[in-house]
Amino acid sequence: MPSLISPAERDYILKGIECNIRADGRQRSDFREITLETSVVSQTSGSARVRIAGGSDVLISVKAEIGPVQVDPETGDGADKGQIICSIECAPSASQQFEGRGADDLNNELTQMMSRFLCSNNTAISSLSPTCSGSGGIDLSKLCIIPGQQCWILFVDALVLDYGGNLMDAIFMGVRAAIYDTKIPKTEVQDLGDGQFEFEVLDDEEDIDFVHGREDMPICITLNKIGTRHIVDATLLEELCTEAKLVVAVNRAGEICGLQKNHDGSIEPSLLLEMIQVGKTMGQALIKNLDAKIKEEAESDLTKRLQGDPARKLGFFAQ
Amino acid sequence: MDRKRVPGPELSVAPLVEYPADFKRWTPQDECRHDSKRQPEDMRPIYLKTGLITQANGSAYIELEKTKLACGVYGPRPIKRVGQIFSGRGILNCEIKFASFSCAKRRSNIRDPQERELSQILSQALAPAVRLEKIPKSAIDVYITVLESDGWGSCVAAAVTAASVALAHAGIEMLDLVAGCSASYIQTAPLSISSLSISEGDTGSISTSTTNTNKTITATATATQPPQIFMDADFEEEKYQQGAIVLAYMPSLHEITHVLQSGKAESSTISQSVEHCMEACNKIYAVMHHALLESIGENKEAL
Repeated sequence: MPSLISPAERDYILKGIECNIRADGRQRSDFREITLETSVVSQTSGSARVRIAGGSDVLISVKAEIGPVQVDPETGDGADKGQIICSIECAPSASQQFEGRGADDLNNELTQMMSRFLCSNNTAISSLSPTCSGSGGIDLSKLCIIPGQQCWILFVDALVLDYGGNLMDAIFMGVRAAIYDTKIPKTEVQDLGDGQFEFEVLDDEEDIDFVHGREDMPICITLNKIGTRHIVDATLLEELCTEAKLVVAVNRAGEICGLQKNHDGSIEPSLLLEMIQVGKTMGQALIKNLDAKIKEEAESDLTKRLQGDPARKLGFFAQ
Repeated sequence: MDRKRVPGPELSVAPLVEYPADFKRWTPQDECRHDSKRQPEDMRPIYLKTGLITQANGSAYIELEKTKLACGVYGPRPIKRVGQIFSGRGILNCEIKFASFSCAKRRSNIRDPQERELSQILSQALAPAVRLEKIPKSAIDVYITVLESDGWGSCVAAAVTAASVALAHAGIEMLDLVAGCSASYIQTAPLSISSLSISEGDTGSISTSTTNTNKTITATATATQPPQIFMDADFEEEKYQQGAIVLAYMPSLHEITHVLQSGKAESSTISQSVEHCMEACNKIYAVMHHALLESIGENKEAL
């Protein structure tokens, strides 16, 4: 992963973008080829791996665990809600810069951004109000087992195996696929009287729940402002020329679920509004295509399982 | 855990407060805002003063009623950290710290992930204005302490404003001052009877406290009407927000240096709130100007 770029190379990229042609032959609004695979790690409740041609490789796992509910002592809020806890880690093997504490800042920045877009809990951004249904779309109340006591906690962990630009988009696509793939065992709650409850986790492969509201999860589109233009899906070198990045999180209905500027540059107000619009339309189109592929994969896995054939996976670092 | 300090208790319980008989908690359905003086588009009055920290190269103190922050700027000075890759640009290093008593919940003395992210956000918001290419191999350190926080968004916005005034006070070359402003999207529409009865049925399962029913009522109302934009919302108002935006803007260059939005919103709401925030930033800019001019006047008197 280079960290410096020569003025000549920068100039080449800049002028190319001005003429709407990029070094790899793409136009400003073109994505690279994306490879997506679900159910790749057997130990998880749901997992996905996203690879963007010629670069980023991300593995996302969702693990569902049972834990105590988190209640706000002041408002009593959160007693009937499950939790989602996000974390993004850049593997030291992905780049020389990630060894030791080198990736700390990046990890923290990405994790906080993902928490803000995905969950509306109090730790992510001050107190996103109790009236807010959450930008993440996931129905947290369905994750509650015994109100005031036990709930499902979804740990969403992303591991960056290779870094080739446009990390955030890849991660969010992967998270959507992994949550779609997540299977949570059903529970049976027994009322023992006088406020006492007991529950049992059903240990049957057929008795599973999917995550409610998974279709309403946002994905994000990163727009890179280079010169007076903006591009999507930037490569590593293009990211080095980027003045300012705008991450736009959009859901299926076209609602904006989060916005964040990155990098040390500024954006004119008119360009900012244009970028939000572009992000919104591109995001909606991407969600549509992504959902079709995810459903296709889930169905083909199911038919294979019913026929008794093993579902073949590409595995990691596959081309 | 930090063993040199006396730690706060692990578990804390909200105190039992006796409210007077006529006390009514503020809700968005009330006709006025929480402090009952402001209109939705009004900000809280700002008090801004420079030079309150004697040891710093530049400093500023900002107060928006109950939001209070102090900011000190040190530098430009040589980079301390060894092994950092060479760059022709200087480094703007921001650090924000919430005092342990600043929020409703006690905050730890150790820097938490949220503070680390905020620090990054601040340096991204300020960097476009500072001429870092003029100071290679050096660093500017900006330290912000939040003394009292009344609303998360307003706190971040105030930090941006105070930090850029402190940078200017330190005599660091800048292209423009950066003003920060926050807004919250709050649903104020009165409710129809039908949505009320439906939502009560929904929550009637196990624990139905009064706050619980309130929640679902507003949630059903959100779908119908665009939310009201409340500028510079305080803590009590933020409790009801559906989303919030923080904008950092350079008024004379007419450029946005940072935008941070959370929660769901239609794009029309966002463009509207961006415009409102820019307008408010222009007003804050006048206050910043005034504070800086005042500091020059004081210097002259001292001479």
